[in-house]
Amino acid sequence: MTQKGGNFDKDVIRELAALLEETGLTEIEVEHDGKRIRVARGVNLTTTLTTTGVPEAGPSENPKPGKRAPGPTEEFIVHPGTVASPMVGTAYRSPEPGAPPFVEIGSKVAAGQTLLIIEAMKTMNQIPSPRAGTVIAILFEDGQPVEYGEPLAVIEQR
Amino acid sequence: MFDKILIANRGEIALRIERACKELGIATVAVHSTADADAMHVRLADESVCIGAAPAKDSYLNIPAIVAACEITGADAVHPGYGFLAENPRFAEILEEHDITFIGPTAEHVSLMGDKILAKETARSLGIPIVPGSGPVGDFVEAKALAREIGYPVLVKAAAGGGGRGMKLALDESQLEAALSTARNEARAAFGDPTVYLEKYLAHPRHIEVQVLADGQGNAIHLGERDCSLQRRHQKLWEEAPSPALNDSERVRIGEVVAEAMRKLGYRGVGTVEFLYEGGEFYFIEMNTRLQVEHTITEMITGLDLVIEQIRTAAGSPLLLRQEDVRFNGHAIECRINAENPHTFRPSPGTITHFHPPGGLGVRVDSGAYAGYTIPPYYDSLIGKLIVHARTRNECLMRLKRALGEFVVDGIETTIPLFSSLISEPDIVDGNYDIHWLETHLTKHGARG
Repeated sequence: MTQKGGNFDKDVIRELAALLEETGLTEIEVEHDGKRIRVARGVNLTTTLTTTGVPEAGPSENPKPGKRAPGPTEEFIVHPGTVASPMVGTAYRSPEPGAPPFVEIGSKVAAGQTLLIIEAMKTMNQIPSPRAGTVIAILFEDGQPVEYGEPLAVIEQR
Repeated sequence: MFDKILIANRGEIALRIERACKELGIATVAVHSTADADAMHVRLADESVCIGAAPAKDSYLNIPAIVAACEITGADAVHPGYGFLAENPRFAEILEEHDITFIGPTAEHVSLMGDKILAKETARSLGIPIVPGSGPVGDFVEAKALAREIGYPVLVKAAAGGGGRGMKLALDESQLEAALSTARNEARAAFGDPTVYLEKYLAHPRHIEVQVLADGQGNAIHLGERDCSLQRRHQKLWEEAPSPALNDSERVRIGEVVAEAMRKLGYRGVGTVEFLYEGGEFYFIEMNTRLQVEHTITEMITGLDLVIEQIRTAAGSPLLLRQEDVRFNGHAIECRINAENPHTFRPSPGTITHFHPPGGLGVRVDSGAYAGYTIPPYYDSLIGKLIVHARTRNECLMRLKRALGEFVVDGIETTIPLFSSLISEPDIVDGNYDIHWLETHLTKHGARG
């Protein structure tokens, strides 16, 4: 339906895209007359972090080729709902060994809800969800070392 | 010996340390900020970890992130390079608490030499010559006696002073009385305290530093000196070894004084004791408890790899080299290639479109730059070091001239043209320069257009 919308939608999309550039936002969603348009983009992590300091949005535009096995990670690299690691450390899915994980794929999460913990220098850091939505991907294994900026999970906004 | 070393630095020095580790068969971990994901030190390391955002405080100065990177990679030692955390005693301490070896001296020695006043007192107690001075001075008669003892010219300085106020120069005895009363009045007016003291004034000193290597087990040797007098705003630009101003007996004398001091201190690793040198005498400035940018020229004339020696001593191995094993061979000069305008010294970050380093006998380039490399604006402007070695100083100058002519760095401005012009200056050719020479030269040059 929206694809057939012709000039009207294209113009709106262009306008929204321009707005994205201008504001530095990563995604914009508008609803009008029953039509919903979402414009999103992958962002350069460096820019995002230096300007806002919020460890959200897409990871480094340059995942080291050859150093990590290509996996499901790659396809989410430009997804606007990607939660990037705010620190280097060891990522855990549950609060303690044997306990159920904080979230599973399909879990509905609220903004601020703990998604995982990262251990760094013997301290456990709870990583909150930056937004409300549904967990559509978990990109790390329990106990996996993670780098700064590494994608950890994808939260689809609703 | 260590199994895996994490290099808590970037740029040419990170690469330099990786090279030493590889020759020792030690695995390497590079850490980097998001801005350095494509850097050469990351590409050439066995493993790499992104530790934070581009600003240094979030990455290369981020102690928790670096310790966490050690934990996830299993590194058992950290080489701090120079700058960043290299002289941070807290960093050395935290690593120790986590059973990770800091490749450097003890945290106590880093801290001791980091405190200017303590460092000077320590140097004096270890027998290292410092700038002669007096305690508080009473009347003119006493001042006269003290000044004769110190030797003219002398500086009358406010005990409570700073920023050049309450500081007066007396070139000879006829100027002392006036200098004394003016300094006293200024000191009273500026600081509410008329107490003054005398210090020897050095008008045209050279910057000469002595390289030491010690094992923390009471053994220490010196590896000769480096002359780093060519500076701009306290930034060294051109260094050479040996100094054109020293003869063999002066070299042996100051070298042995410094080595003996390091034995008494129980110092470990590489270190540099910096002096001002004037009228055949050395005056302690400070000690750097780390590897220095210009360590390369000492390597060229001694044939020793200072980073390998530093790693070995950090691992607890005793110094096997004896002073008599150290031979000084020929002459070496290092030029710092900075991404800066060669006249204004304004930083020139950007993308290097073409990069061709010079080669041939006796030419070494330590650099992380390559064609297509974008110099990030967040860090210092050093993009490489050109080091030239030859049998004599004259040959070295000719070789440097030849190497500078081959060096191509397009897309950004660099200090290469500055060195090309310096090399034909008669004072440089004669080795006739002090710590003020370069700034005076640049001012004259600027005035001419």
